[in-house]
Amino acid sequence: MYRYDEFDHRLVAERAGEFRAQVARRLDGSLTEDEFKPLRLMNGLYLQLHAYMLRVAIPYGTLDGRQMRRLAEIAERWDRGYGHFTTRQNIQFNWPKLKDVPDILDALAEVEMHAIQTSGNCIRNVTSDPLSGVAPEEIEDPRITAELIRQWSTLHPEFTFLGRKFKIAVTGSEHDRTAVMLHDIGLQIVRNEAGEVGYRVLVGGGMGRTPMIAGELRAFLPKADLLRYLEAALRVYNLHGRRDNKFKARIKILVHERGIDSYRDEVEAEFAALDGSDLVVPADEELARITAYFAPPALPEREEAPAVLERVKRQDPGFARWVGQNTHPHRVPGYTAVTVSLKPIGAPPGDATAEQMRAMAEVAERYSADELRVTHEQNVVLPHVALADLYQVYRGLAAVGLDAANRGLVTDIIACPGLDYCALATARSIPVAQEIQKRFASPERQAEIGPLSIKISGCINACGHHHVGHIGILGLDKAGVESYQITLGGDATETAALGQRTGPGFSYDQVPGVIGTLVERYLELRQGRETFLQTYRRVGMEPFKEALYADAA
Amino acid sequence: MAKAFRTSVVTANDLVEGTSVFLGAEGWHADIGRAMLAFTPEEGEGLAALAARFVEDNAVVEPYLVEVALEDGRPVPHLRRERIRASHAPTVAVGAAATPSRAAERRAA
Amino acid sequence: MPMLLERGGETPERWTLIDEAAPLPPEGAVIVPLERLDEAIATGPALRLGLTLPNDASVTPLRPRFQRLALVRVVFPTFSDGRGFSLARRLRSAGYAGRLRAAGPLIADQFGHLLACGYDEVEVADAVAARQPAEQWLAALGKITRFYQSRPDAAPIAAARHARGA
Repeated sequence: MYRYDEFDHRLVAERAGEFRAQVARRLDGSLTEDEFKPLRLMNGLYLQLHAYMLRVAIPYGTLDGRQMRRLAEIAERWDRGYGHFTTRQNIQFNWPKLKDVPDILDALAEVEMHAIQTSGNCIRNVTSDPLSGVAPEEIEDPRITAELIRQWSTLHPEFTFLGRKFKIAVTGSEHDRTAVMLHDIGLQIVRNEAGEVGYRVLVGGGMGRTPMIAGELRAFLPKADLLRYLEAALRVYNLHGRRDNKFKARIKILVHERGIDSYRDEVEAEFAALDGSDLVVPADEELARITAYFAPPALPEREEAPAVLERVKRQDPGFARWVGQNTHPHRVPGYTAVTVSLKPIGAPPGDATAEQMRAMAEVAERYSADELRVTHEQNVVLPHVALADLYQVYRGLAAVGLDAANRGLVTDIIACPGLDYCALATARSIPVAQEIQKRFASPERQAEIGPLSIKISGCINACGHHHVGHIGILGLDKAGVESYQITLGGDATETAALGQRTGPGFSYDQVPGVIGTLVERYLELRQGRETFLQTYRRVGMEPFKEALYADAA
Repeated sequence: MAKAFRTSVVTANDLVEGTSVFLGAEGWHADIGRAMLAFTPEEGEGLAALAARFVEDNAVVEPYLVEVALEDGRPVPHLRRERIRASHAPTVAVGAAATPSRAAERRAA
Repeated sequence: MPMLLERGGETPERWTLIDEAAPLPPEGAVIVPLERLDEAIATGPALRLGLTLPNDASVTPLRPRFQRLALVRVVFPTFSDGRGFSLARRLRSAGYAGRLRAAGPLIADQFGHLLACGYDEVEVADAVAARQPAEQWLAALGKITRFYQSRPDAAPIAAARHARGA
């Protein structure tokens, strides 16, 4: 993984120092709250319902044991002993005090971490594939590109006060695990007809109150042009994106209102005119330097089909189920990528205690080449586990309650913090997720239902990605009462789709039953091993709608 | 027609601590029970004006009025959001408190 | 009079702001609004010309007049409206070589960004200057010593990194 040299170290440390001075100037009145707010947001600091919240970047989702341990220390020393992993490969601490935040940033800087641009109207931290360098079908490790973009976008003088936030994701595989079509700019590493590696550039995707699937801006962008092209795309957005209405300020609205062809023409003109000599990454020096950091770890040769694995699986059905559900093929024979589910039944989705963070760090250090990844499904991946070590990994995780065998199943629910923490929320999310989990707690039942992603947002801003859940749940406020709209058919992958509303909303108490009804209907309708999404795509909304509203009619 | 005024208190966040606080006779308190009550629109404006002075002094940020009912003399917000805020905690078990039950479940299983 | 700051510190105001209605002097240094630019140019070469530009202005029609402009003053309506950063970059890449001034309720923390985008000076709003005197602006400038992007006064980190390695 990427390692800071003295330059990266100094920049992150100086940035923490700058924030310390900004806090002091806020407290002595030099900065008003209106002035301080964008400055603190650019350093990941929100003011939430109960307290400040600090969002720490995990660049492109990769971290090592030492960093995970530091997160645990921060949780214990300055917070309440836990943190929340988010859908954009960040971790949030819910209870820091303003006066402690500079110290927290110093502690993060020591281990090459920061909160730079995890919020605010700037280029946010770049996200990437949690299976980078692991997935067999990958063209190139997308983290090399993500690191280039991290450096280019960090404290970019021109793009720090954009009309709205700007999110970029990079994937190196055709099978998309980054929701690349739901970002302001999505980059897909592709090969052209000549066999050269470059980028397919997507623009204008996003969720929020006006969800949109990204369109294609460039079918093939040569690698050397990346930063210059991004600079042109951002400049056109910065100058022409709407500033009159915060809810229409994202690039998706600009692209939608002008048409993608018109936006493309402007970007290409800007790109052609841009003197980007300093934006060309020297391939033989800087690019080679960064690439070297992402070379695959030296994994010792291990047994491809260890007998011990099969034996233990027979003895321990829980383990067998976990192996079947929570592992992913690895390009190196004898290895696998393990998903640590942060969705144990009845706990807040995506949360981890300091003890759990340490246990994950320990397991990663011993069994996964000292690497961990964070996924947009709010889980953690151990990318390089030998098949022969799987049982030890399982035992280590089980000791702290992280052995849920539910990756991609009905209980692997994405949920935003909702009304329990968030100042913007209109309804609760976490307890809704917990009630659904309890209803489907039986592992046999979950296995029978198969792949099903439920995503819950506690307001229209859609942080819980409900638009792209196979089943989406949106919590609203109807005259002081929580009301939940249901959407069906959403998809965050390469076959991205936005969910469609079933009809009128449901009360808080009705939601688990509603999900139960939808699942029942699916099981009746499905043919063979069809998934929920496949069934929905075949039969459409009507049969589900009928099941939900028949009694009311 | 203007909405009828309902009994209100003023809440804000402490600038340094970030915690939600309520405006009482001697300053800001975590306990909503110590909040001053406004029974009329004029009293509401008075509380808001007082809160604005604390904003200028960089003591609190983002003050606003919260409508409450009085239950045994204690203010209880009408909105769930504000009840959660006044309770200073999520409605679900979090952190270590959310894990022992799972350990217990596993032992029971 | 608003505080005027450049990289080295406070600098005296040598320009007179002319609004929509005021008569143009035959000589001196004036900053005029866009709609009076042609009139001001016609006044003759004895008048040093500055131009106030809204942050959504188009650069292309100005190009033929660049030679005549000694100063362009871009107005930021709020400090969080960042269009002026890109406008400065566009002016510079289109060949404008005169002085570039940022005006509006900008804050000290933006000083480095402004200079990096091509501004030479900032006209600080009085309400901001009252809370953020020149020392804060200059201190903000020194907080971060080297950036990933190239700046008028410094090479980017990548260049420094490999110059050292070479």
